[in-house]
Amino acid sequence: MNQVKSRRSWSLIVGLVIISTITLVTLISLVWLPYPIDNTDGGRLSPPSWSHLLGTDKLGRDLVARLMVGARIALSVGFSAVLIAGIVGLTLGMAAGFAQRWLDESLSALLDILIAFPTLLLAMLIVAARGSSLTSAIFAIGLGMSAIIARLTRLLVKRVLAKDFITASRASGTSWPRIIVLHVLPNIWPTLIVSFALQFGLAGLAEASLSYLGLGAPPPNASWGSLLQEAQATVMTSPIAAIAPGLFLVALVIGVNLIADGLREIADPTLRRSR
Amino acid sequence: MKPGKKFGVVGVAFAVALTLFATSAPANAASADATIDIGSLYEPQNLDNTGGGGQGVVEALNGNSYEGLYRLTDAGVVENLLATASKVSKDGLTYTFTLRSGVKFHSGKTMTSADVKFSLEKVSATDSKSARKSSFKVVKSIATPDAKTVVVTLSSRSISFIYNLTYIWIMNSAAKDFATEEDGTGPYKLSAWKRGSTLSLVRNDAYWGTAPKNKTVVYHYFTNATALNNALLTGAVDVITSAQSPDALAQFKSSSYKISNGQSTTKLILVFNDRVAPFNNVKVRKAITSAIDNKKLLASIWGDYGTLIGSMVPPTDPWYEDLTGVNPYNVTLAKKLLAAAGYAKGFTFRLDTPQYDPHPAAAAFIKSELAKVGITVNINSVTDDQWYNNVYKKHDFAATMQEHVNDRDVVWYGNPDFYWGYNNTTVTSLINQAEQAANARIQASLLKRANRIIATEAASDWIYLYPQIVVASSTLSGYPINGLNSQFYAYNIVKN
Repeated sequence: MNQVKSRRSWSLIVGLVIISTITLVTLISLVWLPYPIDNTDGGRLSPPSWSHLLGTDKLGRDLVARLMVGARIALSVGFSAVLIAGIVGLTLGMAAGFAQRWLDESLSALLDILIAFPTLLLAMLIVAARGSSLTSAIFAIGLGMSAIIARLTRLLVKRVLAKDFITASRASGTSWPRIIVLHVLPNIWPTLIVSFALQFGLAGLAEASLSYLGLGAPPPNASWGSLLQEAQATVMTSPIAAIAPGLFLVALVIGVNLIADGLREIADPTLRRSR
Repeated sequence: MKPGKKFGVVGVAFAVALTLFATSAPANAASADATIDIGSLYEPQNLDNTGGGGQGVVEALNGNSYEGLYRLTDAGVVENLLATASKVSKDGLTYTFTLRSGVKFHSGKTMTSADVKFSLEKVSATDSKSARKSSFKVVKSIATPDAKTVVVTLSSRSISFIYNLTYIWIMNSAAKDFATEEDGTGPYKLSAWKRGSTLSLVRNDAYWGTAPKNKTVVYHYFTNATALNNALLTGAVDVITSAQSPDALAQFKSSSYKISNGQSTTKLILVFNDRVAPFNNVKVRKAITSAIDNKKLLASIWGDYGTLIGSMVPPTDPWYEDLTGVNPYNVTLAKKLLAAAGYAKGFTFRLDTPQYDPHPAAAAFIKSELAKVGITVNINSVTDDQWYNNVYKKHDFAATMQEHVNDRDVVWYGNPDFYWGYNNTTVTSLINQAEQAANARIQASLLKRANRIIATEAASDWIYLYPQIVVASSTLSGYPINGLNSQFYAYNIVKN
């Protein structure tokens, strides 16, 4: 069993290191950038050099500065989208979990419809209706993900409510709000945290896809997706401009997935018992 | 552009490349019967140039399958084609055209004056989507006294009338389906149109004029410039009608390829809504024009290609003059002008930016330039549809960017109802006088005067003129390099 345990903590540690690095870069970008993000004096597609570590883009903007700002966008989209998904998803999921018959059925049907819509497609619809901006993208991604959170919450709540200790505490006169706080939330929380972590990575990826399609943060916002899109035309002459944002994006997703993996194995009660 | 679509196209490109490798390898010997493979990004929407076929249908069929009464050559000269002679009345209102004899449509029918009348009326019909529709409002009546003569009466003088006729295809009045079939008089017949892939033309052996120097012409359509470049590299196509990025050109800088830098009429414009504050103030427009380093932007987008013109008029228009000095790049001047206009502290405006290249990059550059004079730009990405509805039709915008492809389009500044809302009565009257001028010299001098006023008042900021880059295999010769009005005559192309 020791082997399993060490693999678990290993994935959590690597994930945390990756995400902390990205977070650190983001925090640094708030106080310091190698060049102002609008500075166009770097020369057209300069190759990497000491003054521009990763070179410049077509307009002569420093790529390192743009990547750092891109990290800011990726993280803020991840956090905000998961926050929206959490609030909307938990509320809907709880309601459906506690509700009986027709209310549960109609909420479930609504969630099924939402889930049937790919998040990206839903996001594109919302962005098309509201105009493309970072807020639209966050709102759209968050809403799309809330259905996934809601369905998971409903399932977990139903499972907990069927347990004997709930019946016991009902019989002893405990109020529903107390039951939610004391029994339901603590029992569903570990699984939800894992799901939130996964959704965080997916949100970053969804924002990059939207920006790649020109539907995310409008220029000159340096989202990793728009960096990739801009670099596509010049990939033959300066491949680094495409490789760098791509690597960051991969790191973000791998990082949160590792964290989610680690959390899942810590949180999984079956594994805990076998320890 | 959706990535899924792109991958699809790359797949198609591979398939096309493989097929061609497999089938056309030994066809190099006899050049008179050669097949010319042309790579283009502009697939026609349909085959009718009055039915919204887009620039692709002009590129493929204009002069190749369909012909007009006149032809605009690649050098920009208007010459007789299906009309052999024309007579203009003294008042300039009546044009009598004599048609060429012995011209047959591809279906075998002989062309008569009835077909010419039909074709002219098709352009000005209510359901016509022709870009030249408004130019033909001036036509009052069309008479056909005999099979070889057409008499057109105008309601007012129109010096550009003959020139505009170069855009009008003579179509068979008996034909039924213009959208998917072709029945013109040109040197090539349409042999196949596989949507999303290729359009093939084959030599018309019954052609009235000089036979084409090749037998078959195949237009291969791509939606992705990289796929198109790869097709030329692998030999799947012989020529690219217009390259869209200077960065890809590096791979063609060898003796196997030839890069031509021809004349374009496409201008990238920062369009102000001249009706609304603060852009109704000439000083503000001049300040913005002076605050943006167009030279640097051109170099960023196009490298060593492209031209600065400083007005709406490209060098191929007869009334061109270099007006880049009118509102020079000068940040100090820009700040002074802003202060004089009462915006010493700058202001904020929304820039409606089309999503496709080069607009997003150009908008980001403009934002960074204007920040230096205190102006904040909010970039708002818009789809083609949003642009057409909100900007072009409803005039609901402060500033936008757009590429204007047409030649001789400075005259649109004479229309106060046009989307940019430039309204100067002197300019409007100069442009109207120019259209009614007695000869081309007077027309050119009047339009020069109008254009100088338009440029001085910075009605828009004409950022740069695109290059027209044709990349071809060095075995090819005789292809057009200027692509005026996006036409691409294929009949002189020889493959060795």
